[in-house]
Amino acid sequence: MAGGSQSQEPAVGSEVPRKKGKATIDTLRIGCLAMVAKEGRHRRAEILSIKETKSGRQFYCNFDNFNKRLDEWVPAVRIDFNQDVEWPNPEKPKEPKKAAAPVAKKTTAPKKGQKRPVATREASTASEGETPRDWNGSLESQKATPDAEGDDKPILALDLDEATPGAEDDDDAMDIDDAVAEAVKAKNQPPEHFSREEEIEKLRTGGSMTQNQAEISRIRNISKVQFGKYDLFPWYFSPYPEMFTQEDLMYICEFCLCYYGDLKAFTRHRQKCTMQHPPGNEIYRDDYVSFFEIDGRRQRTWCRNLCLLSKMFLDHKTLYYDVDPFLFYVMTTRDEKGCHLVGYFSKEKESADGYNVACILTLPQFQRKGYGRLLIQFSYELSKIESKLGSPEKPLSDLGLLSYRQYWTENLVEILLDYNERDVGVSIETLSSKLAMTPNDVESTLQALKMQVYHKGEHKIILPTHLIKRHEALMEKQKTNPKRQIEPARIQWKPPVFNASTRTWAW
Amino acid sequence: MAPQGRLVRTRKITPKTVQPVLREDQIEIDDFNSLQNAYKVETGVEGKEENEYHLQAALKSTTAGDKETEEIPAPPAVESTDINYDALYKKTFVKPVTYIRVSETVEDCIGCRYDIDGEDELWLQSFNQGKSANQKCSDDVFERIMDSFEETAAEQAPYASVDNTSIPFETLSATIKLMHPKWLLFAAEIYEHWKARRLASGNGSIQPSLKFETHQEKDDADPYVCFRRREMRQTRKTRARDVQSTDKLKKLRLELENARQLVKLAHQRETQKQDTLRCDKNVFEQRFKVKVAKNKLGIKGDDDDFINQKPQKRKSEMPQLPRGTPQMRLPARSDGRPLEADLILLSDVLAQKEIALQKEIDEKTQQHRKWNQGHVDLTRDPLSPVNGQGLETGFRPATAQYQYLMTPPSSVTSESFDQPSPAQDKQLENFAFRYSPPPEEEEHRGQPAYRRRIGRGGRLWIDRRGMCGAVKNVDENMSDRWKYDQDDDEEQPVYEVDPYDTKSLRFRATIPFPPHFFPQHSQQQGRPRPIGPNPANRAIAQVPQPAAPP
Repeated sequence: MAGGSQSQEPAVGSEVPRKKGKATIDTLRIGCLAMVAKEGRHRRAEILSIKETKSGRQFYCNFDNFNKRLDEWVPAVRIDFNQDVEWPNPEKPKEPKKAAAPVAKKTTAPKKGQKRPVATREASTASEGETPRDWNGSLESQKATPDAEGDDKPILALDLDEATPGAEDDDDAMDIDDAVAEAVKAKNQPPEHFSREEEIEKLRTGGSMTQNQAEISRIRNISKVQFGKYDLFPWYFSPYPEMFTQEDLMYICEFCLCYYGDLKAFTRHRQKCTMQHPPGNEIYRDDYVSFFEIDGRRQRTWCRNLCLLSKMFLDHKTLYYDVDPFLFYVMTTRDEKGCHLVGYFSKEKESADGYNVACILTLPQFQRKGYGRLLIQFSYELSKIESKLGSPEKPLSDLGLLSYRQYWTENLVEILLDYNERDVGVSIETLSSKLAMTPNDVESTLQALKMQVYHKGEHKIILPTHLIKRHEALMEKQKTNPKRQIEPARIQWKPPVFNASTRTWAW
Repeated sequence: MAPQGRLVRTRKITPKTVQPVLREDQIEIDDFNSLQNAYKVETGVEGKEENEYHLQAALKSTTAGDKETEEIPAPPAVESTDINYDALYKKTFVKPVTYIRVSETVEDCIGCRYDIDGEDELWLQSFNQGKSANQKCSDDVFERIMDSFEETAAEQAPYASVDNTSIPFETLSATIKLMHPKWLLFAAEIYEHWKARRLASGNGSIQPSLKFETHQEKDDADPYVCFRRREMRQTRKTRARDVQSTDKLKKLRLELENARQLVKLAHQRETQKQDTLRCDKNVFEQRFKVKVAKNKLGIKGDDDDFINQKPQKRKSEMPQLPRGTPQMRLPARSDGRPLEADLILLSDVLAQKEIALQKEIDEKTQQHRKWNQGHVDLTRDPLSPVNGQGLETGFRPATAQYQYLMTPPSSVTSESFDQPSPAQDKQLENFAFRYSPPPEEEEHRGQPAYRRRIGRGGRLWIDRRGMCGAVKNVDENMSDRWKYDQDDDEEQPVYEVDPYDTKSLRFRATIPFPPHFFPQHSQQQGRPRPIGPNPANRAIAQVPQPAAPP
């Protein structure tokens, strides 16, 4: 298991020793690490923002080793002021730099075996985490400016200070494999600036939509969204028009995905909107779901709307660049009102790295119902038609990893049981071509499931008893309550071909 | 974290390695787990998030085979309580039988882009208050007008939010007027409302819109700026692309221009045709009147004036028309390049000249022949015979052998002096009359032939051709030896099989005259002369005749 640790090592904020001390509600500022009540106990949390509400001051907290989607606004009562607060390290005064300048300072230190982009992202967050910031200055400067929106507006500390700690401060934080990074850091600013440009360059030239952009705010900006019949509670920041951040409720049309802050406007829109299904060609239909293929270039508005929507639930998605180089495969369920968006995955028209999925999402109201599995299966069915091996673009989110692991495990176990019964050996390559998975994914799944062993001088694949049992239980359940599956015969799809002009990213 | 446990791997696994697949119970290891841990598994999750509490718990529960797998907590979605879904989503959907295929965009489906919001609603209510039904401004009209304002404003002053330009009503009302003149009544008042709202929103668009890049430095840092263009490729190709599109536009323009010209000319042609028809009709009517008048007055005469007199002239005019058309079309070519078909190639001209020349030569030859008909040039130094006839036709088929055998050679006779002249058909016929020539089985070459001619200095020559190679040496000794000293024995039976075979006859024909026929034999010997244009037909040997004094 990677990392494998369940220990609650401090991960929020810098691991540099910080000044500690008691704080009060008034002295607590952005960047402080405090103990905040969450899930029954006090946890270490970084304060990312502060706002005044009618009920008093609230603090936006990011908890140690908790995903960002669990970040929340907490009232002062949940903060334990009896314990010491870690203060942000004082910064030497520096000229204000653009936000998130410290991003990707470790670009040059990729972790072994990982591809560069992954390393870049990894490094970027790592540095983000361990870099103390002087939020105070920016907070004050924001406060000093007359705020038209009033006090209720979260103070977004976007104007992050350039925050490179001196090399000596960082010693403790260094990983072993960060030796190179240290060298880079020692040079300080120029390389940083370079890596930042490099990252933008990467965004520009690469097709990826899942780059982690440090400048994207870490603070959720939309509180609640009405989408079709459902109220959604966004998990992450999404660059909807800034004025929506003031709204308690945002409205999104279920079919055209247009967004409204005003109920009257939304109602008017609904009177006029004629769309009832995603604006593309249906390429799959069974009695349960339909899939639509939508070209980002031809349906720019719709695909942009889709991306904005999905950004609220995908941390590592970036909307930095436009949707043109992507195809969107949208899964819907049908009823008498139309085809309702359930989930989708996007796919680069031409992926240099052989990815068959860029972003993948099941909307929260449909999660934990097996739809994600259908999406994943569909992406592999498309790869099979293309006669290609596919893999999802990295980084995966936690939920993404779990979904993929589950899909991979089920399929591998099924095939392996068959080989076991026939008493035939199998190579990773065979497995990979049967499932249209990359050999790398096959191997890592086998390893993660502890199936790959080296025993008596030979590599063996061992099927753990608990997986066999689970598979049998699944088969049993299948008889009474069949699990939904994509039926490849129902796919009406030819791999689209793009000539140079349609592939061009710019107009 | 460094992987724990034994690192026992000695051989690497390659994707091609075939591995046995075993169940856990099929392998006798006490501690199955002791074999694990050797791998650091790539998860593909970002390094920092990899350690997240809930993810780790979930991963652990799946790999350890717990009954209940842990789930990652996430803010759930709930069904809205305070909406009337059916009112909002009124339209019902009928699933088509076939897979849906559409290309309508969002813009095509949402109607008017401007949506009345709460503020507009209030204003509109007060505006419509106390007005009669047909003076009220409906929601739709209001939206159309607002949309038009917004659109014109975005066009006319795209940077209004920065430079604070305000668009005067006159500019905006122009479009409204075009849409519906009656709306102008509302437009003036809506303008005030629109202006107030614009100012309230910083002179930008009233409806919330996404932030796109404005190519300012701060864009990169602003998380709200999204959907940037990827400009890399374009900048790299700008020049080529510009040239390309300019060319395309030019071409398009030219083609449109050509099409226009064509239509114009076609129109001209048709009007002219119409004129012609009208004239014809006029003529016909006049003639009719003439005829009536003639009948009335009892004039009898030819009816020539009832018929178009010059149909032939018309015909000559007609061919000019088609030639005129391409000439008329020519100017339409903008580049002034003439049609390829009109180009005169040098080679064509030369070929034409050649043909004309050849024709003249042939004619002259023919004439020359005519003059010479029935004449033999027996002058001392005759002109060389006309090309193409004399030498060639001077030969006659070599039936001489029989002739020689049966009758004395005709050449000796005085009359026959007429004959070696350039052969005339008549003479040939004469000849054939006497000795019907053997049927021609082979090409010309195979037919032995001879002719008599008088060379310079009055020498008389007999030219032969089509002789077999055997007669190369006509020295009597040599020929004798050749005759009876054949190496090839196998030829004998062939020779014996059919002595009247043409081949053998021909062979016999080659047997030279006995030496006593040639008293001056030794004098002329050894001066063979090739004759005839075709080397294949050259005389293999010349047998000079005793020079007959003329």
